[in-house]
Amino acid sequence: MTPPQMSHSETESAADQPDTTLDSDIVDDGDGPDQRTMMDRTLLEARNLDVYYGDEQALTDVDIEIPEKQVTAVIGPSGCGKSTFLRSINRMNDLVDTARIEGDLLFDGKNVYDDDVDPVALRRKIGMVFQSPNPFPKSIRDNVAYGLKVQGDDENVDEKVETALKRAALWDEVEHQLDESGLELSGGQQQRLCIARAIAPDPEVILMDEPASALDPVATSKIEDLIEELAEDYTVVIVTHNMQQAARISDKTAVFLTGGELVEFDNTNKIFENPDHQRVEDYITGKFG
Amino acid sequence: MARDSYQEQLEGLREDVCYMGEVVMERLRMGLDALDRKDEDLAREVIEGDYEVNQMYLELEQQCIDLLALQQPVASDLRFIAASFKIITDLERIADLAVNLGEYTLDATRDLFPDVDIQEMGVVTLDMVDDAVQAYDREDIDACRELATRDDDVDHFAERASEIVVRDLIERELEDASEVESLLQDVSRLLLTIRDLERVGDHAVNIAARTLYMVENDDELIY
Repeated sequence: MTPPQMSHSETESAADQPDTTLDSDIVDDGDGPDQRTMMDRTLLEARNLDVYYGDEQALTDVDIEIPEKQVTAVIGPSGCGKSTFLRSINRMNDLVDTARIEGDLLFDGKNVYDDDVDPVALRRKIGMVFQSPNPFPKSIRDNVAYGLKVQGDDENVDEKVETALKRAALWDEVEHQLDESGLELSGGQQQRLCIARAIAPDPEVILMDEPASALDPVATSKIEDLIEELAEDYTVVIVTHNMQQAARISDKTAVFLTGGELVEFDNTNKIFENPDHQRVEDYITGKFG
Repeated sequence: MARDSYQEQLEGLREDVCYMGEVVMERLRMGLDALDRKDEDLAREVIEGDYEVNQMYLELEQQCIDLLALQQPVASDLRFIAASFKIITDLERIADLAVNLGEYTLDATRDLFPDVDIQEMGVVTLDMVDDAVQAYDREDIDACRELATRDDDVDHFAERASEIVVRDLIERELEDASEVESLLQDVSRLLLTIRDLERVGDHAVNIAARTLYMVENDDELIY
């Protein structure tokens, strides 16, 4: 694979890089957790974040503070950079050859693009769920266990698989068919299986890129309920085209508009009842265009 | 512009609410005229015509519900529909108060308190409703705030009028028991009329308050 063009490039093998700083227990941002309430503690922060794909600028000077254990929705028209932003958080853009990143993206106060950050270790802390359910052609058990095995975690696997499936609200539906293929599940179940796979390594953050866009309303409703439950234990950042979904499930909403600009970030009810920016108002009311 | 049909529906709702406002003001005007001229036919017209206002209310309520359910409005559109939803309730109540004026007209036997100018109070409150509906139509926040201060004058007028009635009652010398009964009914009717017109002013302020919220997301006039 050709290394991506990045200012903090991932040129060494991930395995060669020590995971010295990603354990949030040992990161001290100097602020002290006791000076902030848990509800408002910032877990992810972008500062002057620019992302380019070759000559194209996908994100422009993004500043945002994403609170811990809340659901943050990222909305905006196609091509506004919302998925780019999501993929910047756990360095998925490293996999894009032409991607280049400037500015800071802090996870618990530590820049994830620092040279000493191992992207694989980072992704254990910041899991991801994609638009289309993508279970492996393996058993349900192995699908969930896969995330653990990749991380070298092979202790109490069955117990951890059960916990992850329960947290993903899928256990009751599959507990007697754990050895059957994950591909035999319905679309909604497959997506919850992918969520179980993402949370099995016990991450701190779950990134979701349009997780319900391929699902019917009933399956969507289950995923939305699940997202709200997950926010009790995890920080959830979700990209969605469905503004009503953002309104229903998120605590905070970030609105990106054309040019990769984060125009407004606020409490979700503020965004949907009385946004500060006319461009946001025009976008969410459908006057855009 | 995107969602043209939706924008047309919103504009249609605004026009329909304003039309309901005009109908309700006409009912109030007719109620006041009926009371002034002791015109029983006109009074019955106001009473029987309330059905039409109620139907209009139900149709507009359904329009609001349809917009909420089908268009999932947000931001200023959401505030506009929420405000309209509340404003049609105020207009429907004003029409009910106009019906009360019609009923008082049918009950009235004498004009015992010429010093209490019901018509003056009626005209002031009618103007307030007119200005409130126009403020909603034009999204005029200055007019909304101004209406709130005018309501104080109406309240003061109502207090003074009630005081005149009570004072007159105390000073009045009654000849016989049957006259007492008749007087009590007339006094009760007059006090209720004063209260109803004072409530028309309150509803006008409610419309202004919802309009201010609609335009500015400002709830300073609500409650």
